[in-house]
This record gives sequence, structure tokens and C-alpha cells, in this order.
Amino acid sequence: MRRTVSFRLVVDPIRCDGFGHCLELAPELVTLDEWGYPILHSEPFPQSDRELLRSAHLAVRGCPRQALSLQKITNVQER
Amino acid sequence: MIGFTSPYFWYSTRVTGFVALILLTVVLVMGILISTRVGGRRIGRFEINEIHRALSMTAMIFVGIHIVATVVDTYVPTGWISALIPFTSPYKSLDISIGTVAFDLMLAVWLTSLLKERIEPRVWRAVHWASYASFVAAATHAFVIGTDHRTHWGLAVLAGCVAVVALATVWRILGRPTRAAGRTALSPLQGPSKGAR
Repeated sequence: MRRTVSFRLVVDPIRCDGFGHCLELAPELVTLDEWGYPILHSEPFPQSDRELLRSAHLAVRGCPRQALSLQKITNVQER
Repeated sequence: MIGFTSPYFWYSTRVTGFVALILLTVVLVMGILISTRVGGRRIGRFEINEIHRALSMTAMIFVGIHIVATVVDTYVPTGWISALIPFTSPYKSLDISIGTVAFDLMLAVWLTSLLKERIEPRVWRAVHWASYASFVAAATHAFVIGTDHRTHWGLAVLAGCVAVVALATVWRILGRPTRAAGRTALSPLQGPSKGAR
């Protein structure tokens, strides 16, 4: 058995007002649509990627509308 | 109460009051800049947000010293309760109370922001509007009880702060919408298509 932890940045589209702070704080995880609203990379990143984890935390903290959250994904692989 | 007075308390009250008013002006204007989506090229939008947060902390420290220096000095009687509850100061009750109201509103804005991650964003935002009322009360307090506004430079600083906030507020109301209508663009930071504006 092996447990792997990964993370994904998710946006609450109701709360989001397109301020764009997330693009500045976590450019590795965010692209903007043509109206300036974020499209977050759906691919989870591993816990070991400290750089990405830090960016994600900064984006969550920096969002003026509290629209971002960090989703923790725990995978258990049996082998 | 033990008599405890020194002109240095008095100087501290005056100087921290002045610095606090200037800092509150800058913090309020930066808040307006965030809501109107200023920045993105020469300065990051998130940077304005960070400075806004850091300076509001600094402003609270100055307001704190302002209150402590005033209450500790027994030259004029005020009392700790009058820092939080209006109309409890024996000395210049109304003039002090306007400052008390400014501080109470400031505390509400500050505390909800410290707990921002645990508070419903709508509530945080509703409380944050009190910043305007707090500034008006603080400026009024400075005008009615401040010693230095009787000097030309003092009055100039006070009038300058009020003018800057008034201009920024008018600009926010008239010049730049702060909420997007549906999914319409509202000065997006950058879009994928080059021509999109």
C-alpha cells in the first residue's frame, strides 16, 4: 500500500470577480479566459512540489474575494 | 487614579494622530485602487493588496499609540473605557467620541480582515464598507479636537487627506465600475486573445 498526496487549486466561480491576482501569484497554475476570469489547471500537482504549493497558498491568501481554495487529494495505491 | 503626566505623552498623541490620519488616507486610497483593478503592468495588483494590508497594520499601531498616550496622560481626564465606548470621556466628550466611533469601526474592519479566511466573504465585504465612515469620523475628530489643524501646515495636511480620499471615492463611483456585469470584461489583467480589451 502506498499513499500519495497531491493538490489542486480550485475556484468558486460565484465568488470570483476576475481581479486577476491569482495569475500574478500563481502563474504556473492559472490562465485567464478572454474576460479575465481564471482557468485553473485541472491536473493535480504532488505534495513534493513545494514551489507550486507555495504559489497556490499565496494565491489562496491573496484572492480579494476568497474565491480560491486548495483541494487535497489523497490516493491510495495497492500493489 | 494616579496622576501621571508629561508633555511627551501630549507630543505622542499629536504626532501619532497625524501619522495615523495620513496612513489611513493611503490605506483607504489603496483599497479603492484594488477594487478598481488598478495595476498589473508596472506594479502588480497583488502588490497593491499586500501594501494595503501591511500599511493598515502600521496604521493600527499608530492609532494604538495615539490612544494609549492620550489615556495614560492624566493632564486631561479621558479613561480607558472612552477608547471603546462613546460619550464616556469627562473631557471634551463629543470630540473624543467621534474618535472613539472611528476606532470602533476601524477595529471591526481590522478584526474581520484578520479572520478573513474564517468569515463569509459577504460579511467581510459589508463590514469593510465601514472604512469610509471610519475615515470620515477620524478626519472629523482631527478637525474638532486636533491642536495642530490651527496651524496652516496642519490644516493643509488634514485638508489634503480629505481631498485625496474624496477624489478617489468620486473616481471609484463615476470612473471605474467595481463589479463586472455578468461575465463582461472588467479591465481584465490579460486575456489570451491579443485584441480583447
